[in-house]
Amino acid sequence: MARLGLISRIRRTGRLAEAVPERAGGGVPDLGGSVQVRHVDAGSCNGCEIEIGQAFSPVYDAERYGVRQVASPRHADALVVTGPVTRNMAGALRKTYEAAPRPCLVVALGDCARNCGVFAEGYGVAGAVSDVVPVDVEVPGCPPPPGEIVAALRGLSGR
Amino acid sequence: MNLVVTGLGAAVSVSGVAAVAAVVLPPRWRPGVVGAGMTLAGCAGAVAGGWALAGRTGHAVLPALLPLGTARIDVDALSGWFLLLVGAVAALVGVYTAGYVGRSGTGASSRTALAALPLFVAAMLVVPAAGSVSTLLAAWELMALCSLLLVVAEHAHAGRRGAAVRAAGVWYAAMTQAGFVVILLGLVWLAAACGGESFAALRDAAATVPGTVRSGVFVLTAAGFAAKAGMVPLHPWLPRAHAEAPGHVSALMSAAMVSLGAYGIVRVGFDLLGGGPSWWWVLLASGGAVSALYGILQAAVAVDLKKLLAFSTAENTGLILLAIGAGGLFADVGQPALAALAVAAGLLHALNHAAFKTLLFFAAGSVVHATGSRDLDTLGGLSRRMPLTTAAFGVAALCAAALPPGNGFVSEWLLAQSLIHALPPASTLNAIAAPVAVGVVALTAGIGVVTYVKALGTGFLARPRGARAAGAREAGPVMVIAMALAAAGCVLLAVAPGLTTPGLARTVTIAMGAPARGLAGGTAGLALPGVAAVYAPMLIVAGLVVLGVGVAVVVRLVGRPRRRAIAWGCGNGPQSERTEYTATSFAEPLERIFDDVLRPEHDVDVTHYAESAYIVERVRFRRRVPDRVEAHLYGPVRAAADRAGRAARVLAAGSVHHYLAYGLVALLIVLVAGVIR
Repeated sequence: MARLGLISRIRRTGRLAEAVPERAGGGVPDLGGSVQVRHVDAGSCNGCEIEIGQAFSPVYDAERYGVRQVASPRHADALVVTGPVTRNMAGALRKTYEAAPRPCLVVALGDCARNCGVFAEGYGVAGAVSDVVPVDVEVPGCPPPPGEIVAALRGLSGR
Repeated sequence: MNLVVTGLGAAVSVSGVAAVAAVVLPPRWRPGVVGAGMTLAGCAGAVAGGWALAGRTGHAVLPALLPLGTARIDVDALSGWFLLLVGAVAALVGVYTAGYVGRSGTGASSRTALAALPLFVAAMLVVPAAGSVSTLLAAWELMALCSLLLVVAEHAHAGRRGAAVRAAGVWYAAMTQAGFVVILLGLVWLAAACGGESFAALRDAAATVPGTVRSGVFVLTAAGFAAKAGMVPLHPWLPRAHAEAPGHVSALMSAAMVSLGAYGIVRVGFDLLGGGPSWWWVLLASGGAVSALYGILQAAVAVDLKKLLAFSTAENTGLILLAIGAGGLFADVGQPALAALAVAAGLLHALNHAAFKTLLFFAAGSVVHATGSRDLDTLGGLSRRMPLTTAAFGVAALCAAALPPGNGFVSEWLLAQSLIHALPPASTLNAIAAPVAVGVVALTAGIGVVTYVKALGTGFLARPRGARAAGAREAGPVMVIAMALAAAGCVLLAVAPGLTTPGLARTVTIAMGAPARGLAGGTAGLALPGVAAVYAPMLIVAGLVVLGVGVAVVVRLVGRPRRRAIAWGCGNGPQSERTEYTATSFAEPLERIFDDVLRPEHDVDVTHYAESAYIVERVRFRRRVPDRVEAHLYGPVRAAADRAGRAARVLAAGSVHHYLAYGLVALLIVLVAGVIR
């Protein structure tokens, strides 16, 4: 009986979710509510990686907004790039972008990805992500908190 | 003298002329003349076979040909089926030989090897046409001797290759002669019990022979014929001989000679003995089933292209023997129509196997010709360099994998139909055997797909894994023509299996005394009206073409423009061919799954630097899938023979006096035995 009461309460309450965020601007195409993401560590200190891990953890659960991480750029709609692009990773980043099907969105995640952060003008740094591949969305922060990462990804998926 | 006997006589005469020509002509002319002779002989044999399949018979008696006996030729539809098979294969191999053996005058183009080829063809044509025990045995022995000469054609090769050829020759000689001896014992026993040696006399008197003699004759002859068919556990000669023989010889042996083992069993078991108790056929069918499974498993993990094809031969003959065994079982439990269907499936599979295996060995031969390698792990990239050979191998692989619309599917489908419709079962044995057999056919077909995907994918596609594969060039025009003709044969059998049904029905009626149940054929396909089963390959082909063209058109119209991107290598530079799938790695999961059956051997050998046990200097990895049946069954036999041979050295002391005394003692024993009797 108690269980029945719970179910009817759920039905009465209906769906509770945050409002759909505003779609990321700047010519980002409609991906139909599903974004497959390939993460590229271009030379990060791993701070951003920990926060990405949190964003996909059960607490923030980015997957419920239609965002999935995939293991190959061949399957990806978007690349999430972290860290300043080091000289060793510049070629690999370019190849990853080349290997992904079009349209391929690029998310520069964290201050280092946006403008090299504290590593700017380091001897091993080739430049910011936008110096190597075209960037569509930027997520500021050092590192950006998981909530903001989720918000940025929701901007791509539109859910 | 009708067309059957004339055709057969022409085939044998042309073969004799070609053999003489091979001996007297200079090396420059030899391959062409011998090839043309084989093609002519093969065509004549096939015409004789076709005529016999159309319902004619042929008889000939040649009184003074064989010492101590009369040579009898007695051709009926069952002979005709195998005459057609052998003739067609020989005709194709003749064309291929002309382009394959080269003009060096050594190895495969040496005088002996080329003279043995047409004789081999003639012997194989006489075997199914033989009408008496002595004729059959003489032709059988000539066939064995010629094929042995051909297997060891490249024995003079330097190094390990030559040693492998010689070992294959010894294995083949020992097993084929042992097989001959048991066939001889069986048939002579039968002839003695029947009081006559012509097949007609045997057929008439066989019913009056006591059951133990009949069983003894069947077990002996079936063992000998099954050894020739490469049935496990009598198979160890097969992967060796097929792998080490030159390409055209492998094709002749695997496609034609091996089928004659099945012919022998059908002729003796059904036609001469008139069927027998269930246990004969269960024995045969279980041998066939084990052979099919073990053969295809070994083929799936083989890395040597020709060894893979050889084990696939063991698999296919296993299926043929399974079908024949099932036929005998059904006949014994009182389902003659179903029995005829099973035997028809087996005979049709023999023909289909001959068609695709000829083509497979042609393609494998031209790969060996072009690259000098049979190792799938070092091949690859041949689809760009040898497109026609690759296309030929692709057609044959589709047929051999028993996938529709290939021709292998037709006969395996018929076999499965006959086994499935053994329900409701007529006996407990039937109720257990038929479903198990269906499972065997299904598992064999499944692993067969893996095997041929591996052979085509790692052998021909992707990038070359070795320098020799990278430098490969397309086969010469004569070899390409031979492959095209063989491929046309496969396609014909695949899309119009109905063409074979009238001849097949006559053949089965000879063997079983009853026509196959409702096996109806037409130009469109096969139908089994009694059980509402229809197979229409034309429709499948049409469907595939429509689907393929439709998808291509839709992609062109709707799809986005194509963009060529790099091959993904995790961001690293262009991938080397070392990262490709190899035959070994492709089969590795299967090897793991069937670990208990195959028992692969892995050997990791790590060498450290003397200074530190933590720094590795060299790692050597070796993997081998040994033939367990051979090791466990033949190891002890070989060891015992070896011991006996060493012990018998005492007798061979090197003294002429001793040897003369032995001769005298043997003569006395024979005389005394004769007097006492």
